[in-house]
Amino acid sequence: MSGQPARLSAPSGAFIDRSRPLTFTFDGRDYEAFAGDTVASALAANRIKLISRSFKYHRPRGIFSLASCEANTLVEVNGAPNIFAERHLLSDGDRVRGQNYSGSLAHDCNAWIGAFGRFLPVGFYYHAFFRPRGAWRLWEPILRRIAGLGQVDVNAAHGYYDKAYLFADVAVIGGGPAGLSAALAASQEGARVLIVDDQPVLGGSLNYTRCDAAGMRAQAERNALAAKVAGTARITVMTGASCEGVFADRWLAIVRGRRLYKLRADRAVLATGALEQPAVFRNNDLPGIMLGSAAQRLIKAYGVRPGKSAVVLTANDFGYGVTLDLADAGVNVAAVIDVRGYIKASALRSAVAARTIRIEAGTMVSEALGRAHLHAVRIGRVQPNAGYAAPFAAIDCDLLCVSTGFAPNLALAAQGGARLVYDQRTAMYRPQDLPQGVTVAGAANQRFELGAVIADGERAGRAIAAGEPGESALSATHPLPICMHPRGKEFVDFDEDLTVRDIKDTIASGFDDIQLLKRYSTAGMGPSQGKHSAVNTVRIAALARGENESLIGTTTFRPPYCGESFGVLAGRSFDPVRRTPMHHRHVEAGAQMMVAGAWLRPAYYGDPAEAEQAVANEVAAVRGRAGLIDVSTLGKIEIRGPDAAEFVDRIYFTPHRKQPVNRTRYAVMTDATGAITDDGIVCRLSERHFFVTATTSGVDAAVRAMYLWNAHWQLDVDIAHVTAAYAAVNLAGPQSRAILALLCSDVDLASAAFPYMGVRTGHMAGVPARLLRVGFVGELGFEIHIPAGCGEFVWDRILEAGRASGLKPFGVEAQRLLRLEKGHIIVGQDTDGLTHPLEVGMRWNAAAKPFFIGSAALAAHQQRGIERILVGFELDAVSARPKECHLVIERNEIAGRVTSCAYSAALGRAIGLAYVRPHQSEPGQTFSIRVDGGKLVRARVVTLPFYDPGNARQNA
Amino acid sequence: MSSEPLIRRSFVERRLSHAELASDGGTGVGERSPRVDVRLKLIDLSLVPRWGLKGRGVSAWLSRNGASLPSADNRAERQADGSLLARLSLAEVLVLAALDRQASLAEAMERIPPEGEDACYPVPRRDSHCWFVAVGEDAHKMFAKLCAVDLAPDRFADGQIAQTSVARLSAIVVRNDLKDALSFFLLADSASAEYLWDCLLDAMTEFGGAVSYSPVTASA
Repeated sequence: MSGQPARLSAPSGAFIDRSRPLTFTFDGRDYEAFAGDTVASALAANRIKLISRSFKYHRPRGIFSLASCEANTLVEVNGAPNIFAERHLLSDGDRVRGQNYSGSLAHDCNAWIGAFGRFLPVGFYYHAFFRPRGAWRLWEPILRRIAGLGQVDVNAAHGYYDKAYLFADVAVIGGGPAGLSAALAASQEGARVLIVDDQPVLGGSLNYTRCDAAGMRAQAERNALAAKVAGTARITVMTGASCEGVFADRWLAIVRGRRLYKLRADRAVLATGALEQPAVFRNNDLPGIMLGSAAQRLIKAYGVRPGKSAVVLTANDFGYGVTLDLADAGVNVAAVIDVRGYIKASALRSAVAARTIRIEAGTMVSEALGRAHLHAVRIGRVQPNAGYAAPFAAIDCDLLCVSTGFAPNLALAAQGGARLVYDQRTAMYRPQDLPQGVTVAGAANQRFELGAVIADGERAGRAIAAGEPGESALSATHPLPICMHPRGKEFVDFDEDLTVRDIKDTIASGFDDIQLLKRYSTAGMGPSQGKHSAVNTVRIAALARGENESLIGTTTFRPPYCGESFGVLAGRSFDPVRRTPMHHRHVEAGAQMMVAGAWLRPAYYGDPAEAEQAVANEVAAVRGRAGLIDVSTLGKIEIRGPDAAEFVDRIYFTPHRKQPVNRTRYAVMTDATGAITDDGIVCRLSERHFFVTATTSGVDAAVRAMYLWNAHWQLDVDIAHVTAAYAAVNLAGPQSRAILALLCSDVDLASAAFPYMGVRTGHMAGVPARLLRVGFVGELGFEIHIPAGCGEFVWDRILEAGRASGLKPFGVEAQRLLRLEKGHIIVGQDTDGLTHPLEVGMRWNAAAKPFFIGSAALAAHQQRGIERILVGFELDAVSARPKECHLVIERNEIAGRVTSCAYSAALGRAIGLAYVRPHQSEPGQTFSIRVDGGKLVRARVVTLPFYDPGNARQNA
Repeated sequence: MSSEPLIRRSFVERRLSHAELASDGGTGVGERSPRVDVRLKLIDLSLVPRWGLKGRGVSAWLSRNGASLPSADNRAERQADGSLLARLSLAEVLVLAALDRQASLAEAMERIPPEGEDACYPVPRRDSHCWFVAVGEDAHKMFAKLCAVDLAPDRFADGQIAQTSVARLSAIVVRNDLKDALSFFLLADSASAEYLWDCLLDAMTEFGGAVSYSPVTASA
């Protein structure tokens, strides 16, 4: 371990805490750093230049933007791949590895690929590997092994990720000078402001840039603005947080750590700054070449000297600020290469000149020299149209800082709906048609002089429309910082290893539209999503097409802005689960729970290995003695009021207007097309009060339909959805009346007094209850509804009361078989989205009931005649048993389908329900069902119900 | 329908039996407590009575029975008998019993026949909805992890109601500060009570939250 040889002394290093040293490993070697260091800054402090290998050619790569604008710095941290080294704050003991190499980072076995770059032109993979036929099978495993960045640790421990909402009147994205001044201005107008900044410290570019020759102004302005923000109660600051997306109505996705924040703001100020852009020349990707702003960040934020001997390539005043900062940090600046032929006088340039630093005007770096890292540059005179600047000199250096221009960071604005237009005057994009409530401020709005930036922030904070960019924008960005080299390797897109030639070849191949160009060449499709490459790609395209950049257009900006981990996307979500009041009793009794919509229900009680026997035992208990099933999940609706009977009659296919009090009726609900949507029991408790049950999964839609229709009808009726308010059980079997009598003393349970399809109110074990005589499972049965809070208590009492009678709880599986034996349909299983009542054997007397929802459609169905009908069928004992949805076949055509089928122990044969053609539906007729394996079995139509056809048992 | 408290069980009874209880901090609920360092407390009030009334005759019924309907929807006001009357709409209210005494409104409400009277219909909110309260200065931050409505104290006044979604469940949130402690009543589908309880406990963790004791739980 060595002691950070490139570390500068304080006051450099505003972001680091020198009192808190830490250690980390990089590719297995130990290094020292300080709290506040990122992986990238710590490596730079230890003079580690090689951080990763490029995607395609495995070229050595190091720090370039230090702003996550290219994939150079993607590393693996503690097993997590593709972490931007400049974004990950180091913790003591972190384990960091480079990516995309074979062997070692320094000696990558795949580095040879770069030497064959000329044989791997853009789009080569579209043309190669497919011939001769079958070749792809050989290539695929090789290419898949090589492709991709990083390795996922499939054994990694699960992390805790979650989501939260954020609230603000004004959201300011970016904590630089424009963002801070916007926040202050908005807060002065009474707004509650939230500043989101992806850096650990507020200030944005003020933390590193140089505005004046003395180098004092930026820090002073930062401190003043930050102090005002800290002293303003209305402003909340989130540092280390990244805005990854701007969606409709100012819905902003913010990621900080392992949490996704969902922010909805009345207004959004996008003070996202500008991204310094690369110059394009041969070998411009060598470690040691970085943006001027990256070098400044290393020096001022992290206290790192970025090199020993530097050359600065510039086309604006910022490059001279970089030069002064390098010199102040003890770096020998060998020369300033200024692309401009005419250099406007400025205080910064004068200060550089005063230090007798060599300035070469009208020159360009034509080539960088070095293998593992930079050791010299060649410079030549700038040529028109990015032509080759034949070198007239070489300058030794281990650092080349590039400050030739900016791209306003408008990705979020574009995501939000703004159109980006290339401004030929400034050689930068500007936003047009910003969505309502969204403002762009500062450098993102082409303001580059500090006073103008702050003023523009204040303007945005007060929601005043922006004016034209000022003078500073006209000289910030060079329109064509490109030097094409006869030997190529001028990289445009570092992520994808795309060179000038690749872009030109793409256009020559006919893919000259920017969207096609992007997809064919993959420019901008890497991890950085074109942050460093999009503008130069457009410039080269414009050059190749002989057009202005403004005519080339842009590709689509999509979230995420910087990149999110899968953990953030897949983090905690909410999936409500509904449990009945007796849920824990079922679990304690060994029930196997099944999902029914949002509910959990007992499928059966017992060992899954003996499920069939468990279900058979439950069925036998119901048929022979008594069974108890939890039916709390049934939908329940109260319908009350003077027009209740009229309302229920209109809603249901079945007639209810004259339904007697204390009686129930089976009810079928249809939609406007006449299709069955739900069924249940309608209980009339008084002249003005109906209690209606609905299917477990259908009740929400049923209630919605009721509300909707009564909004039209305006009947004097109240509809209350009370599903969760009542626990319900079905006590069924020959012994059910006797068991019930032990608990219910205030209802006459005798058959004559309480007949089948009657409803009574009384008490069960002292608990108020509604009792319905129903026959869903085909036995004497009582459906008992009690307040949900008392459900478990009543369940316990019933089981206690029935113990001597052999009462047994039963689950959904047994109930399904029992109802099938009785020929009762299950809506959704024995019906589909088109089934109407006539197809399931229900009769409609239009004269007796002319109107209900769907009556007009059903009248049409009736007139046209039905094309299918649901029938009961039975099979010979030796037949293979069909499954649900097996097809009914007639003359090799589909004639219908099976909806239910099971073996009935009570009947000694397999039975089922199936749709058949009407001419096949007479009892005694047979039809064919195609079962697994394509075999046809013969089924015989029988009259329903299969079990107890005289209904003597349920009517007992 | 009403039933004796001894046969009525909380919708989160199993959760409560395993919870580590926290101090009530002088809010009037949760007097027994082994933990006193809790900044945010979750208390189950599901056994405390509550009633719902619906229909166009609700306002008149309340007036006849000496209760005052809050002046606007989504407002809750304390009544003379200590109960909290929450106006969900012009035609629907929720009445939450006082935690420490019998609500005189209760008797009148329970006299309403199940079929309703004068267009005022009882709704079984005691059974359809669980009732929790979150108490503590970070309660609104905790809710921000579950609910899209801004419940910050300066944005969501005492007595204000949000009929919204909490952890993807339809829910009624009522700000009802208890002895000056920021507090939110939360009422939601009773069948989802355990799910919601678990979501709340999970969301509370970063704020040092814990389950607190409700005296009502023990008496049931």
